[in-house]
Amino acid sequence: MAVRTIEVRERVMARNNEIAAEVRSRLAEYGVTAINLVSSPGSGKTTLLERTLAVLGEEMGIAIITGDVQTQNDADRLAAYTPRVVNAVVTNGACHLDALQVLTAVDEIDLNRTRLLFIENVGNLVCPASWDLGEKEMIVLFAVTEGEDKPLKYPKMFQNARRVVMTKIDLLPHVPFDMDRAVANALSVNPALEVIHVSALTGQGLDRWFDFLRAAARPVSTSG
Amino acid sequence: MHEMSLAMEIARIAEVKLGRAAPQLVTVAVDVGDSAGVEPSSLEFCLEAVFATPPFAGAKPHILRCAGDVLRVAYLEIDDGRPDD
Repeated sequence: MAVRTIEVRERVMARNNEIAAEVRSRLAEYGVTAINLVSSPGSGKTTLLERTLAVLGEEMGIAIITGDVQTQNDADRLAAYTPRVVNAVVTNGACHLDALQVLTAVDEIDLNRTRLLFIENVGNLVCPASWDLGEKEMIVLFAVTEGEDKPLKYPKMFQNARRVVMTKIDLLPHVPFDMDRAVANALSVNPALEVIHVSALTGQGLDRWFDFLRAAARPVSTSG
Repeated sequence: MHEMSLAMEIARIAEVKLGRAAPQLVTVAVDVGDSAGVEPSSLEFCLEAVFATPPFAGAKPHILRCAGDVLRVAYLEIDDGRPDD
């Protein structure tokens, strides 16, 4: 038996990262800021996007790509708030979006009319952390109905994110959630995290969220 | 959960590298860092399943645990049936 060894030393994520770089350069060409929204299932990504579309959808030319394992329910919900096409990626079992899916979806978006692109990732605090989608930044949502130790259990997601949005804060009087401890846990895994508190139901804190989005997205370029 | 996606990408890398020699693959060695966000035994399970299907013919995974967030195909071993040198 003649066994030969072939050295490879190729990073497994290399191809995804190349495609992510392609997404990033195409978005940069059109001055589009992309935000990758991640969280556990049920933390309020779609509801926050509904409120965001209702207020900023036209002003900021918001486009949305949603990712779900099955159904395009989220895209259908969001479509009620925007005249634009909401691109639904059904992953058919995969627990995350990858850069190729985003590149394909971006092809269908009118980038000339877009300043801000939200990528609503599959609800999952583990796997999406490993896939660069070509976004400018990853934002993680953390609901007050979850455990305060989520950042300690799923550190990679909180390390990769630049901001954490604490959601459903209208429920604070009704749940045994210790906000100070939750924020301290998040900062312990990533001291650079910026924290925003919102309730998409009552609107509390949304102004700060909208201000952040306005600052994050570049002004409309007249040169196209 | 994402280990199956990773296993399929590892198979793609091996297929590109080996071409028509893919069925001769006997071992696929993968460096898995302790902070790569990868569960080694789950990846091993997925690799066994993926490399049991054509164009491969039952290559065995070999997980090399290391430090850091590295995740890469380290080397491939093929048995080309030729006698030893």
